Amino acid sequence: MPPVLAFRDVARSYRTAGGELPVLRGISGEVPAGRAVAITGRSGSGKSTLLHLAAGIDAPDSGEVLLLGRSLGRLSDRDRTLARREGIGLVFQFFHLLPHLTAEENVLVPALVAGDPPGPARARARSLLARVGLGGRGGDPVQKLSGGEMQRVALCRALLRRPTLLLADEPTGNLDEASGQVVMELLLEVAREEGSALVYVTHSRELAAAADEVWTLHAGRLEAARSGGAAPVAG
Amino acid sequence: MRQYLPRAVAKEVRGGKALFLLAVAGVALGVASVLSIQLLDASALGAFSGTVKAVSGDADLSVLPWAGALDEALLDEVLAVPGVAAAAPVFRADVAVDGRPGVTLELAGVDLVSPRKGPRLLDAGVLEAALGTPGWVAVSSAWAAEQGWRAGDRIGVSLGSRRATLVIGAIVELERVAPLASRRLAIMDLAQAQGLLGGRGRLHEIAVRATPGVSPDALAERLAARLGGRGRVATAAQRTVEAEGLLGAFRLNLTALSLVSLLVGGFLVYASVRASVARRREELGVLRAVGATRAQVVGLVLGEAAVLGALGTAAGIPLGWLAARANVAAVSGTVRNLYLLEGIEGIALTPGLALLGVVTGIGGAVAGALWPAVDAGRTDPRALLASISLEERVGAGAARLLAAGLAVLAASAAIAAATARRWAPAGFVLAVGVLVAVPLAAPAALRVLTRLPRPRRLGVREGARRLGTRLSAAAPAAGALAVAVAMLVGVTVMVGSFRTTVVRWLDATLRSDVYVSTPSWRRARSEATLGPEVIAALRALPGATVAVMRQHAGFGAGRRILVSGVDAALPAAGRRVALVGGGDGAAAMAALRRGAVLVSEPLARKAGLDAGSTLALRARDGEVTLPIAGVYRDYGTEGGAVLLDVATYARLYGPGLPSNASVDLPRGADPEAAVRALRAALPGAPLLIRSNRTLRGEVLAIFEQTFAITRLLEAMGLLIAAAGVTLALLVLARERRGELALYRALGATRGQLFRVFLGRGLAVGAAGLVLGAAGGWGLALILVKAVNPAFFGWTLEVAVPWATLAGEAAAILAAAAAASLYPAVAASATPAQELSRDAL
Ligand SMILES: Nc1ncnc2c1ncn2[C@@H]1O[C@H](COP(=O)(O)OP(=O)(O)OP(=O)(O)O)[C@@H](O)[C@H]1O
Ligand SMILES: [Mg+2]
Repeated sequence: MPPVLAFRDVARSYRTAGGELPVLRGISGEVPAGRAVAITGRSGSGKSTLLHLAAGIDAPDSGEVLLLGRSLGRLSDRDRTLARREGIGLVFQFFHLLPHLTAEENVLVPALVAGDPPGPARARARSLLARVGLGGRGGDPVQKLSGGEMQRVALCRALLRRPTLLLADEPTGNLDEASGQVVMELLLEVAREEGSALVYVTHSRELAAAADEVWTLHAGRLEAARSGGAAPVAG
Repeated sequence: MRQYLPRAVAKEVRGGKALFLLAVAGVALGVASVLSIQLLDASALGAFSGTVKAVSGDADLSVLPWAGALDEALLDEVLAVPGVAAAAPVFRADVAVDGRPGVTLELAGVDLVSPRKGPRLLDAGVLEAALGTPGWVAVSSAWAAEQGWRAGDRIGVSLGSRRATLVIGAIVELERVAPLASRRLAIMDLAQAQGLLGGRGRLHEIAVRATPGVSPDALAERLAARLGGRGRVATAAQRTVEAEGLLGAFRLNLTALSLVSLLVGGFLVYASVRASVARRREELGVLRAVGATRAQVVGLVLGEAAVLGALGTAAGIPLGWLAARANVAAVSGTVRNLYLLEGIEGIALTPGLALLGVVTGIGGAVAGALWPAVDAGRTDPRALLASISLEERVGAGAARLLAAGLAVLAASAAIAAATARRWAPAGFVLAVGVLVAVPLAAPAALRVLTRLPRPRRLGVREGARRLGTRLSAAAPAAGALAVAVAMLVGVTVMVGSFRTTVVRWLDATLRSDVYVSTPSWRRARSEATLGPEVIAALRALPGATVAVMRQHAGFGAGRRILVSGVDAALPAAGRRVALVGGGDGAAAMAALRRGAVLVSEPLARKAGLDAGSTLALRARDGEVTLPIAGVYRDYGTEGGAVLLDVATYARLYGPGLPSNASVDLPRGADPEAAVRALRAALPGAPLLIRSNRTLRGEVLAIFEQTFAITRLLEAMGLLIAAAGVTLALLVLARERRGELALYRALGATRGQLFRVFLGRGLAVGAAGLVLGAAGGWGLALILVKAVNPAFFGWTLEVAVPWATLAGEAAAILAAAAAASLYPAVAASATPAQELSRDAL
């Protein structure tokens, strides 16, 4: 079975006012099914960029990003979108829930987009909400929820269609320590229960330590993993 | 995703009620202005062909006069042509009803005895009364109800200075048999009509039915050969086409104006969809992130626009109908008085026109949403993952749009320049180029505002300054406003120039002190004559010089023109015409006396005539060719006119009475006193006796009536544009809630936020005004210098009505300020607590 996510010598640079800015200089690494990977690094080291590449919403200048063995760069925009729809769940730092909709409706948005049968999707949304401790809050407008609760709703939305890969960019960056801890634990637990691989960006050593692997970005390259199994292949 | 659309629309409505309603209103107004014009247009033609049908029945062909009237003797000749199954003579005259200014009856004297195919107007039972009662007339129930006439009423009417009494013999449901026919139509016995109105031996139409199996075209040829130049043969369809041609330029102008309203309405939809997309960037980004395809997002946005368009159409169709109804009188007056066609009596919303409304409304909305939808499809989900939102790329876009606008302008100018000589609409191409370029320049104009020096305090100036960095919401509003302003300025300058030109023309040619004509003259022309007793009374005024004129609607140079015979021998005759190129009037009159003609400028231009060439004119018994002595200015008859000496006129058209007269009084005499003296000398005569000043006022009033509908369309365009300003500011208020909350948190007062939005409104208004004024100036030049000569045939001088323009400018800025009040209040009410919610 191919790894859920693989980077093959990926490079990405940005054109800036000060000239070419190489952000990623040759990243290689694999995320096997069901594994949790934390990405750390200084601000500006390219963590978000790497996650964008994984989600197929940005493309590398060279190298390949493979989702379940398929090279995202070779797919059309539509197929890339469908690959994301079927295989990836995204969690954002700023939650990005849709106001005016209830918590449950927010969780159901991916099903609406994909045109899934509403019955099973609804049951799944309810069970996910119950799983993250929001069983009774599904009918509430999201504006009424606290930040931590919002992020849990967002987590349910990401998981609704059982993605093989969950991507989260600083999912706790906008929460206080305590609720950040709760969300992070839930993220890891639920991902494990669902069998989804998880890649998350964090600044916190503590939160990073909970992952199976930690990738640290420095000067555009990955530094050796500090824990867990398969180490990233040096690029 | 299909399940998502209804929710999305519902959410849009809930989330941005005012926005949504404004966009719907914009579509509604756009649809209304297009539809109202098309309704009036269709009804104007419908009235003509409906009346033709009611009078001539299902005739295959009509024999019509070339000049004024047909000789009754032609009837026997027509009947003798093989293939003619029946021929029905018609005598027509528009008579004025005594004591009711403006009320007329379109009398049709027909042969009530012989059998007639087509709609039955009269019941069999009334025949005896119709033939036996002097003055018996059948009128339409609608007109009878409006005038309060009942069966048996006697009404006094006049044709020229001749009076007659009619008896309302029957009231018929004309609208049932011929729905679009003029309500003023009245039917009476042919012989009675001729006798009562002094038209013995004269006919205006012979309606011909072909024997079954005979082709109408072949019959038309045979009839034309038989009649020679004494009558012209036309089918009903040909006559409608002729009427269309007569109204062509008038209709084109109105259609062009109504399309501008639609364009402005389209901008409004664009602005509101664009706003909704901008406001929902996050939502669309989430949809993309969870796997919605581009096509799905585009479909969602377009679907919402279609719903918006449908709602706007539903409101716009009744609104257009009401607008058409409100303008029936003005347009009808123009059609009746200037084009001498049937007035519009009622408007009918046909399925075709309703469909047109639906297509313009929904099509306009979808077209307006197209670009924002495609743009929304490109929403970058990356913006969601980043902790700060991606900034808009504004500068480059503004410059590119400006360049595109200039390119369009240059291209249209090139096309117009290349085709101007051969193709009348060349001017319109350039006008469209201007109207496209103006809104494209709007973003660049707003960018200029960012150069304003930074103020010390948050307020009006900062609002205007920051607008330049929020182009996606503000630029379409400024662009739409600029288009509406350009149209307003262009038409204002054009109408002002026209008015000034007409006033100068009247100064030069309206030289007599007193003018005499009859209430029926304007439409009946050659049938509405002044009796000898009237002329005698005029001559009896002490020291008076009397000039008479004979006139009829005839044919010359292959087109329908107005033919007038004037007394060229009178000493001052040369001063009554203004020759193009400033030629010598006296010399021209001398040439008229030798049998030459003067042609009006529109005729010269349309038929390619000039001094020195010749005019082929239809006379009573055939075509004659006359030398052209010169071209004179005329702003009264778009179709063209010619002037002959009365002697030539009598030679060509036979003896007859004049239809109007003018009197020159000795120096120092009081014209108003002369008018009173004449009224006393001719008590009760159905005459219009007017001093120079009164007549001039009436001519200008007719002029204003012609432009009444134009003003309505302008007002609609501006209203839509003002709605656009409100909409843009509401969008800004909503989009920037977080920013506003931040200002509040940092200590900005409500008053400051209010002023910021007022500044934004004024900035949009000022940008629209400046751009619109520039575009409007260009449009005015195009309308005055190219469109008027090409379509109407007359030359106008450019005259700028500064006072009117200044008033309009003030009104536009006031409207922009007023349009920003509601958004300003809404924005200033943003509480600081909103700040936390911005993180949603
Ligand atoms: N669109 C862009 N254009 C130019 N430079 C960019 C762009 N996006 C990112 N960068 C630059 O690339 C570098 C990496 O950005 P990235 O967002 O991946 O960093 P990060 O590791 O996620 O930082 P943080 O921890 O602050 O979120 C930064 O220096 C950033 O300024
Ligand atoms: Mg980042």
